[in-house]
Amino acid sequence: MIAVALRNLRHRPGGFIATFLSAFLGAALIMAFASLIDTATGVDAASNESLVTTAGVGGGWCLVIVAFAVTSTLTLAVRQRDQQIALLRSVGATGPQVRRMIVGEALLVALLAAAVAVPVGWLLGRVLVKLLHNTGQVASTIDPAFGVTALSAGFGVTLLGSLAAAFATARRTSAHGRKKQRPLLRRIGAGLFLLIGTNCAILTATLMDGKGIDAMQTAGQAGIWASIGLALLAPELLRLVTAALGPVVRLFGAPGELALRGPRLSAAVMPVLLFTGIATGTVYMQGIEDRAAVGQIEPDYAQDIQTLNYVVVGMITLFVAIMLVNTLIAATTHRRREFAQQRLAGATRGQVTAMVALEGVLITATGVLGGLLASLFTILPFGSARADRIWPDASPAAFGIVAAIAVVLTASAVVQTTRRTLHGPATTAVRA
Amino acid sequence: MTDIVSLESLYKTYDGGVTALDGVTATFPAGSFTAVMGPSGSGKSTLLQCAAGLDRPTGGRVFIDGAELTATSDTAMTKFRRTRVGFVFQDYNLLPALTVEQNVVLPLRLAGRRADRLRVREILDRLGLGDRLGELPERLSGGQRQRVAIARALVAEPAVIFADEPTGALDLRSAREVLTLLRSIVHEHGRTVVMVTHDPVAAAYADSVLFLADGRLAGSLRAPTADAVAERLAHLGDRVGVAA
Ligand SMILES: Nc1ncnc2c1ncn2[C@@H]1O[C@H](COP(=O)(O)OP(=O)(O)OP(=O)(O)O)[C@@H](O)[C@H]1O
Ligand SMILES: [Mg+2]
Repeated sequence: MIAVALRNLRHRPGGFIATFLSAFLGAALIMAFASLIDTATGVDAASNESLVTTAGVGGGWCLVIVAFAVTSTLTLAVRQRDQQIALLRSVGATGPQVRRMIVGEALLVALLAAAVAVPVGWLLGRVLVKLLHNTGQVASTIDPAFGVTALSAGFGVTLLGSLAAAFATARRTSAHGRKKQRPLLRRIGAGLFLLIGTNCAILTATLMDGKGIDAMQTAGQAGIWASIGLALLAPELLRLVTAALGPVVRLFGAPGELALRGPRLSAAVMPVLLFTGIATGTVYMQGIEDRAAVGQIEPDYAQDIQTLNYVVVGMITLFVAIMLVNTLIAATTHRRREFAQQRLAGATRGQVTAMVALEGVLITATGVLGGLLASLFTILPFGSARADRIWPDASPAAFGIVAAIAVVLTASAVVQTTRRTLHGPATTAVRA
Repeated sequence: MTDIVSLESLYKTYDGGVTALDGVTATFPAGSFTAVMGPSGSGKSTLLQCAAGLDRPTGGRVFIDGAELTATSDTAMTKFRRTRVGFVFQDYNLLPALTVEQNVVLPLRLAGRRADRLRVREILDRLGLGDRLGELPERLSGGQRQRVAIARALVAEPAVIFADEPTGALDLRSAREVLTLLRSIVHEHGRTVVMVTHDPVAAAYADSVLFLADGRLAGSLRAPTADAVAERLAHLGDRVGVAA
């Protein structure tokens, strides 16, 4: 079955791009942060603490997001191939054989991604140390190192994450027929993350009240945990928004009806939600901080923390944005046959594109609204702790920009991919 | 009798350089049931798809109900097709996310027309699917799915229905049902049906058979019987063999 896995990778590399990219980016980020620990060996205590803290905080956030990204892209990639898997089963592949194939593919992709990520992680690690030099947190005599910790963390996390995701996915696929996902487990996970987020939010508003900029630590985390929790609830949220916007979507005639009845693309909601939640939360948290800091004496590390916060969040944002485009492209390309069948039933290319655009609207609306909700886990308690006002004294323009970016990313990914997928006669596409 | 479908020297060359149609001229009169037969790869599916406006011929013209299909854009072709042409595929091509009823009314809805629910029910009732309206295609048998596909092809009251091996995936009984249905559509409701098949017994349900070999017409047969068709097919194989 490993041979089949290899041939799959060579025959349809496109199906693995999303998984590869998220594993690659994740490995690079984790290696960069882990390399700080390599750098920290044998340096003065203050520098050591700075390096280890940064590695822990940054690496920790990346870890969660990466695990999430790899799992969701891999699940998507495997589920897209249930036809092939059903075919393999029908010619006599046993469940364990199919499982070995899926796990084998995932491991190969992860190994490749981690290997390619090494130079990028090395470079990012140097940038991080340079940044800590500039902010004075780390003595400028300390040279960046890239060693065992970076490599083992990068390879270890990527391989283990892919392995776990592959096992979970494989078990689901090789079960008889196509079993429903287990919503209970997902919902429990969502509840757990939301609880952690709430806990961080409460800590921020109570324990960190009056602690100034230090409140950012917990406030930032509150938003990230809440984003992940809500992202896990994407199917439910999408159903809710679809029900609410249904009457409007229906105004668009047949494309609207198809958009409402089509397969639910909750996998695409997750990155939009994570992106909106984390970006909005950070931007407003920084705004509150900036206004509160006016005329105050700040601790000398305030600037460093801000810079670092921005670096971490900037990287996560970029990462999630790439994930979003990836997920959408993968999900749309997979629907080649569905689009062809619609065209055979009499839909014009314009109508199919309109349907996909309307689905995009539902996805974006769900993601942006969910993200806004998640960002409040950061903004409200931080405002209360730092500026003694829960609702921030800030213009909604920044949120508008974040939402606009989400819309543009989603729209361009979906519409362009759909265009390409609709190329050529439907009679050929339906056989693909 | 007026001609519903008229094909004028159709040529089709695929990207790879395969010539699937090599100058086919044919007409299908209103109220006729024609079977198209020929060896595998002789261009039957290509002929049907070009005639139905699902694909574009490389050369030649297609007229349906007096309108030239080949003279229009893809979008115009699609719009024309969904109200004037029905197509039944060997592998059904029902949308898996839509129920039986939703699948059947889809072409109408895409055309922006309200579906007459009573009529849709009546059609599905006649096809023995009256109690399966809300079912998803995956829960139907092959024969039932093909009947849904036929209902979908019928609902817009098209000028002509094309069927590409509609019984290819069905057992004998379901196949007989589908063929009887197609014949009654022609003889009781005056529609025009063009059907590709490999099965001489199926072809015998039609009023006439058109033979195709190597992308060219290779004769026809009126009032076919299964034996006569089988005989001609065997002969056709010989001729193709000699020519090759
Ligand atoms: N999309 C395509 N691209 C390239 N060549 C094609 C394509 N579709 C069909 N052909 C070629 O055109 C020729 C005619 O094919 P067609 O499908 O019309 O045959 P057919 O008579 O329907 O055969 P069958 O009875 O096996 O269904 C064949 O040689 C086939 O290989
Ligand atoms: Mg064919």
